[in-house]
Amino acid sequence: MGQARLKFLGFAGVALMLLAACGSTGGGGGTPAKTYKIGLVTDIGGLNDKSFNHLADLGLEKAKTDFKIQGDVVESKSGDDYVPNLTNFASKNYDLVIGVGFLMQQAVGTVSGQFPNVHFSIIDGAGTDANGKDLQHPNVQSLFFKEQDAGAMVGVIAGMLEKQGKAKKNQHVISAVGGISIPPVDHYIAGYKWAATMEDPSIKVLVGYSNDFTDPAKCKNVASSQISAKSDILFQVAGGCGLGVLQAAGQASVYSIGVDADQKDADPSVIASALKKVDVATYTAIKNVVNGQFQGGALTFSVANDGAGYAVDNLQLPDDIKAELDKVQGQIKSGGLTPPSEKSW
Amino acid sequence: MTFLGDIAHVLATADLWRLTLEAAALLLLPALGGVISERSGVVNIAMEGMMLTGAFFSVVADLAWHNPWAAALVGIVAGGLMALIHAVVSIRFRADQIVSGIAINIFAAGLTVFLVNRLYGLADVGHVGQANLLPYINIPLLDQIPFLGRVLFQQNVVVYAALILLVIVHLVLFRTRLGLRIRAVGEHPQAADTAGINVYVIRYGAVITSGLLSGLAGAFLAIGISNTFVPNMTDGRGYIALAAVIFGKWTPFGAFVACLIFGLGQAIYDNNSIIHVSQYLLSMLPYVLTLVVLAGVVGRSIPPAADGIPYAPENE
Repeated sequence: MGQARLKFLGFAGVALMLLAACGSTGGGGGTPAKTYKIGLVTDIGGLNDKSFNHLADLGLEKAKTDFKIQGDVVESKSGDDYVPNLTNFASKNYDLVIGVGFLMQQAVGTVSGQFPNVHFSIIDGAGTDANGKDLQHPNVQSLFFKEQDAGAMVGVIAGMLEKQGKAKKNQHVISAVGGISIPPVDHYIAGYKWAATMEDPSIKVLVGYSNDFTDPAKCKNVASSQISAKSDILFQVAGGCGLGVLQAAGQASVYSIGVDADQKDADPSVIASALKKVDVATYTAIKNVVNGQFQGGALTFSVANDGAGYAVDNLQLPDDIKAELDKVQGQIKSGGLTPPSEKSW
Repeated sequence: MTFLGDIAHVLATADLWRLTLEAAALLLLPALGGVISERSGVVNIAMEGMMLTGAFFSVVADLAWHNPWAAALVGIVAGGLMALIHAVVSIRFRADQIVSGIAINIFAAGLTVFLVNRLYGLADVGHVGQANLLPYINIPLLDQIPFLGRVLFQQNVVVYAALILLVIVHLVLFRTRLGLRIRAVGEHPQAADTAGINVYVIRYGAVITSGLLSGLAGAFLAIGISNTFVPNMTDGRGYIALAAVIFGKWTPFGAFVACLIFGLGQAIYDNNSIIHVSQYLLSMLPYVLTLVVLAGVVGRSIPPAADGIPYAPENE
């Protein structure tokens, strides 16, 4: 990742010079009662990533049916494509250009500076300079998520299963495997631990890290050690690496919980998934532009605005757990409960 | 100091030692390859690249054929072919063996990423189904022994293979005429040549064998422990195996002990959910253990006399 980033930095620099040389015309104003043009740029995961990019596209498709818009998608083949892809839409005076994923932070920062009249949205990031500092361009909107809300919902499921003795080992031990201890990862785990403890005060929540986001073998071993320590519900918060968690849980016949997107199909052991609803965020960003309500700065998605949540996967939940989920969800929405985001382990 | 108590607790669990043995077996295969290659006088730092190649091609084959055994064979052969390049460059063309090894490691990293992009596009490679992985096999009766059964007899099929290969490599190197020849070629190729031993054949054979063993390790990593290929997934294990070769003074059992120490460090790290100390500190453990043992316990390691020196008969 470091290397890719470095390469990308170099490219961004070159692209910046080229742009400056060409001299951009900037975005134009809109004419009334028009068809809004929305451009979506995926990160290197591509549209088939079964995660962020796929969900963003779903949000765009939904917006297409609801509003009078023209939606165009371009897939980035490498980090070097971000700036040209964003520029392509911006230079054609699109009304909103959406970048998917924090990998595009710097590209969005660069291009949004070049086209101050074009609106940009970026999932899970901001428009930054080369050092990752938020440039706070007024035409950039960050779409952030309260991961702790989604973590809390799956934490309720884990805690209830343990309390009712419906997990595989019934030792009141659950766990989470994080990739690297960075804020989005720890937010998920904080919510998970908090909610599980709320449902089952005798529960023990083990938290481990693999130091990796891509290699399933690393996460698998951390998961195995947690299973040895009697964990029977494992929450993966490690992206591609975390698929090893789901695999380890499957091999040991215990339960696992997926992350970000619905990971039902990744392994039969997946009983639920904590969701970042990138589709909702994308749809909302488009809706705001169409309604003339675009605002720079951060827009946060949470359980309260249905931008974060959960999916129940390969397990039939008893009615009382479903009722508890609805109750907790309602309380988080109303502000009666606030899942914490701080690391407490 | 609660973390010392945590570590003591973890050390008392059979699963820790099971993970240790698994991690050690993964390192042992390329390390055995390194021992054989270097005993014959060819420095081999290319195990990393051979492993990576084996990992990639075993996944490609398994996804295509749904047969882990055939896939493992493909991985083994792929590792062997990488080794053949090293052999030709360093034996036939007498190039610097370190440079050739580095080149192979870089080449393998680039080749596999390139092929991932060619074959699978930008999405991930795809996952091998549970039924098509190299299986974990419980040895009947023996696996019921308390503690030891879990550690020794509930392992992946490749772990058993690695332990058997350990004994075979040891016996061949030190109890057979072939082994004597390999060692003679590595110590004094001119004398071996004079005695009628074909130095080239021995060295080619030794280097290619190291590739086959490394390829098997790659297959074990990708379709045994894991179920997919990820760019650079060997993550330096080939280099750690190289350290184990030196650390074990170019003997199979010495290398195995070294692999066990690395494996233990790794297994302790994997328990970072239970051990209450910074995971970053824990992640240094395998390497700290290495430094301590290398500096304090092993003492001076002396390589085979002709290790790294290309053989050119006309020099004599």
